[in-house]
Amino acid sequence: MHDVIASYFPVLVFGVIAVGIAGAMLGGSLLAGHQKPYAEKTSAYECGFEAFDDARRRFDVRFYLVAILFIIFDLEVAFLFPWAVSLSHVGLFGFLSMLGFLGMLTVGFIYEWCKGALDWD
Amino acid sequence: MTSSAAIFAIAVLAPLGGSLIAGLFGRIIGDRPAQAITIGLMAAACASAIATLFSGVPQDMGTAVVSLGHWIDAGGFHANWSLRADMLSLSMVAMVTTISLCVHIYSVGYMNHEEMPTYRFFSYLSLFTFAMLMLVTSNDLIQLFFGWEGVGLVSYLLIGYWYDKPSAVAAAIKAFVVNRVADLFFLVGIALLFLQFGSVTYDNIFAVVPAQVGATYHLFGTDWPVFEVIGTLLFIGAMGKSAQLFLHTWLPDAMEGPTPVSALIHAATMVTAGVFLMARMSPLLEFAPGTKTLIVLIGGTTCFFAATVGLVQPDIKRTIAYSTCSQLGYMFMAAGVGVYQASIFHLTTHAFFKALLFLGAGSVIHAIHGEQDMFRMGGLWRKIPFTYAVMWIGSLALAGVFPFAGYWSKDGILEAMWAAQSGPATYGWAMGVVTAFITALYSWRLIFLVFHGTPRDAHLSEHAHEGGIAIVLPLGILGVGAVLAGVLLDRFYIGTAQAQFWQGSIVNGAGAAVMNRMEEVPGLIALAPSIAGLLGIAVAYLAYMARPELPASLARSLRPVYLFLLNKWYFDELYDVLFVRPYRALARILWKGADEGVVEQVPVGLARLTVGTAVQAARTQSGSIAIYAFTMLIGLVVLTTTLLFVH
Amino acid sequence: MNWIIAFPELVLTLCGLVILTVGVVQKKSTNPFAACSMLTIAAFAITGFLVTVSPDGSGYEHVFVNDGFARFMKVLSLIGGALATIMTLSYRGTSGGGRFELPVLILFSTIGTMLMASSDNMMTLFVGLELSSLAIYILCAFDRDSVVSSESGLKYFILGSLASGLLLYGISLTYGYGGTMEYGAIRTVLIQSGGASLGLMLGIVFLIAGLAFKLSAVPFHMWTPDVYQGAPTPVTAYLAGAPKIATFALILRIMAGPFGALAPQWQLLIEMISVLSMVFGSLAAIPQTNIKRLMAYSSIGHMGYALMGLAAATPGGIRGTLVYLTTYLFMNVGVFAGIAAMRRKGHETTDIADLSGLGRTSPGLALMMAIFMFSMLGMPPTAGFFGKLMVFSAAYGAGLYGLLAIGAITSAIGAYYYLRIVKVMYFDASAPAFDTRSPSLAFLSVSMGIVTALFVLVLGPVTSAAQAAASALIG
Repeated sequence: MHDVIASYFPVLVFGVIAVGIAGAMLGGSLLAGHQKPYAEKTSAYECGFEAFDDARRRFDVRFYLVAILFIIFDLEVAFLFPWAVSLSHVGLFGFLSMLGFLGMLTVGFIYEWCKGALDWD
Repeated sequence: MTSSAAIFAIAVLAPLGGSLIAGLFGRIIGDRPAQAITIGLMAAACASAIATLFSGVPQDMGTAVVSLGHWIDAGGFHANWSLRADMLSLSMVAMVTTISLCVHIYSVGYMNHEEMPTYRFFSYLSLFTFAMLMLVTSNDLIQLFFGWEGVGLVSYLLIGYWYDKPSAVAAAIKAFVVNRVADLFFLVGIALLFLQFGSVTYDNIFAVVPAQVGATYHLFGTDWPVFEVIGTLLFIGAMGKSAQLFLHTWLPDAMEGPTPVSALIHAATMVTAGVFLMARMSPLLEFAPGTKTLIVLIGGTTCFFAATVGLVQPDIKRTIAYSTCSQLGYMFMAAGVGVYQASIFHLTTHAFFKALLFLGAGSVIHAIHGEQDMFRMGGLWRKIPFTYAVMWIGSLALAGVFPFAGYWSKDGILEAMWAAQSGPATYGWAMGVVTAFITALYSWRLIFLVFHGTPRDAHLSEHAHEGGIAIVLPLGILGVGAVLAGVLLDRFYIGTAQAQFWQGSIVNGAGAAVMNRMEEVPGLIALAPSIAGLLGIAVAYLAYMARPELPASLARSLRPVYLFLLNKWYFDELYDVLFVRPYRALARILWKGADEGVVEQVPVGLARLTVGTAVQAARTQSGSIAIYAFTMLIGLVVLTTTLLFVH
Repeated sequence: MNWIIAFPELVLTLCGLVILTVGVVQKKSTNPFAACSMLTIAAFAITGFLVTVSPDGSGYEHVFVNDGFARFMKVLSLIGGALATIMTLSYRGTSGGGRFELPVLILFSTIGTMLMASSDNMMTLFVGLELSSLAIYILCAFDRDSVVSSESGLKYFILGSLASGLLLYGISLTYGYGGTMEYGAIRTVLIQSGGASLGLMLGIVFLIAGLAFKLSAVPFHMWTPDVYQGAPTPVTAYLAGAPKIATFALILRIMAGPFGALAPQWQLLIEMISVLSMVFGSLAAIPQTNIKRLMAYSSIGHMGYALMGLAAATPGGIRGTLVYLTTYLFMNVGVFAGIAAMRRKGHETTDIADLSGLGRTSPGLALMMAIFMFSMLGMPPTAGFFGKLMVFSAAYGAGLYGLLAIGAITSAIGAYYYLRIVKVMYFDASAPAFDTRSPSLAFLSVSMGIVTALFVLVLGPVTSAAQAAASALIG
């Protein structure tokens, strides 16, 4: 068991050093810096606008829906690239498998379309 | 199975059939048919028994065994269901079935005022008869014990027949418990017998008894002769069943049962089982002189003790119950000097006249609607003259007046005691003679109090009348028996023809000399019991007819003695202090301390602990995801650590 | 390419896609729920038949295997899925009316469980597990308008992700130290090297942890009561059936197969988990007042008993576990069919007190529930007895006497809360009667009751099938 633990010893060293340096920097600026806070300085900065609302507010769930649908089809594309490159090696079975995969995604697409997930209103 | 064997089997098994039919189907077929069936089967059994007795044991073999089937075969231990037919068992079977038939018939009349159906009663009666017959026809000690416990069970059931009466239930439990105490000794005796002889069958045991006379147990630093130990254990068992001194306390209380039960079980048959056991085990007891001495001492003392107590009892049935106890003492005395024939003779005659007395007393009680206190009776002889007559016959037989049955058997016993010519036997003789006087005294006290003088309770005796034919008929039969049994059987049981009659089923050993000397007892000694009896009658007349105030003044002037007798020598109180209270205290400690304190608290505590843990366990389920995830990680760490440790 | 060995899975997937499409293209006015449910049940039936006739073999570059063990587990999974789908027929959410996605999601989850049963590679292990679990996350939160349902879905998802993380970490450790993810190859490596490195052992611990989460075995059980209570009743019934069986398929396969040589090492861990599950399951159930929550603890305890067979690490033990799971599947569905029937004026009630006097108001249902409770506590001659008997005798045969003793004690404690239900049903004052049972629930509870009570009649075939499955795994 010692060899496993011992092999992680550099990680521990690295962690200690990282914490040490970060602590030194923060602590140093806290000690050495000249601090004079006022309202303008501590308020949120929005590209020059006056901040008109709190940033931590609820977004419409539709944003998430769109994001998730995007991710699904994005990953599909990410899956298509290696397939396209190696199409000559995977043969007919590989081709048909991808067609099956795409068919499945199509069913999913039909589903979300029919359910109205693609309509904003 | 030959035809005679079949007839013998009918004699034993017919009562079982009657009992089962009446007990299981009585509710369906009704009361009258149940009674008719039990009586019919009982009559068949009785006829078969008498036929077997007269045909005798076939081919002079002395013993015939009718095998009915295997019971226990475990290793070297074998016990079979079988019926042993020798003269001892045949005579017992004939006696038991005859008395039982009379009691069955009598019960029809006696129990006709019951509110509940009586098929249960008749079923019990027949079941008792069957158990008693199994006892007397047993060929090994295990079947004997089966019958022994069977009669004990039915005795319990019948004493507590009126189960809504607390005193009856208490009496039933008392009888059962006292008998269990004795039975424990008996069972140990049987076990030791098996250990010693490797068999429980009579013939196997008796065949090797003489060869093992010197065997001893080494216990507590002393050598104990095997036969003395076994004999004493068996005798203690017999003491319980036959209500001998120290284990007698249940018998008077057993009078809580219906009177026919008292007649059948607690006078004529079951209580004589102990005497029968002594006769049955005679080949063994003959080699246990110490035990025999003990038997004589206990028998003689019981005989005197019970008679003195019977002298002052106000209850008619209890008076007769103590008389039974006393007469059983006579029987044991005879067995103690080795004259078992005289025991069995007295057992048989006693069965007739004591059943007669009980049934007569029952007839009196029936006539005056359940009253049992003799001091509330009186002047009944005009109302129930037949009962009066049979009570006279019974009392004459009990007192041993010539030529009634008791004369022959009691004289035989007392002559044997004299002829035995030993210290204990002479003690027994003296006790017997004194008791003969007291017996006559309390018998006529009973007769005078119940039948003579002026009615003390006019209301009670006003409507007194004889019972129906069902009551009169058995009284008549038993009356005849009480008159004739002695004179007819004397020759066969103890007289000149006894050796041919018993055909070796009773072994006398040293007692044989006593048998011979019985004929040479001096005349005055032979007459002593009769004289004592007549004297007793005379004193009774004096005290209860001529000078009725005498007993009361005597009781006043000798108050301590009177109280001593009235309270039965304070045996119940003594046992209460010696056994009942300590036992109850022990039981209470075990109940409160061991049972409720430990046995109950452990599971209850466990249950509480479980519930407490359960609530804590459920509390960990707080609903917080963070804690859930944290628990998982802790679990992972624990698993990993465990693995690292064992790796 | 031996693609035919996965034919049942392919067919079921195709059916699922078709049913989904059919369901979603319907007009708004028609509710395709009932039709989709029936189609799903039919798909399960067809697949079940195909599974029984599917050939043995390994394929798809050693990621998929079909053998007697896989077939046994797949048939159980399909039965579990089909029974749960039958139960959904009568399901009405808080907002009323069923949605057709419910049976389709059960179908997709069941495909995942089949894949788990056939996994021959850590890849298929994870993909199958996730396919099954993702569908269940949605199923748990299916009653969108109910707070508790959403809560249960969310909790299961978050904790399930954590467990998946542990599992993945275990897989990566195994791959890192074993050099392969194929079961057969791992086995060969372990036999050749004559033992496992510490890293590989740690990998096994993480694998066990990840799988134990799905089994709801202590100490990875925390999600169970909340999820069982919050999820819609048919989903809970499904959750306690097919996924657990498939997870057992996984754990049995990897423990007996690739890690079979390391039995002495992992046996202790399985024993610990088994003991903890039995003790916690029987104790924590005692104070419960909600019957679904009680069933959650009951299921924790039952997983402990089933793990006893694995802890024995013998063919007899595996057979015992398989028979145990079979009996558990049937009695569990029966109980949940009874719970689903606990409705008053259309609203679900799940308090144990609501069962009061059921013996008088609804004697048939009460009788069935009583049968299930007696079976749960292992009373002969019900189904539960035989399962317990087999795992107990396997533990005895393996010399695990401590485990056996704890099993016996916790069974006795468990008897308390099972019998309490019987007592409430038969001896307490009557509560108002429930609504009339729908035919599907009546069918389920009666048929499961018959199976549970008369299990002894099929004990022979089930045992020999389990024996064949166990020997396919070990022999």
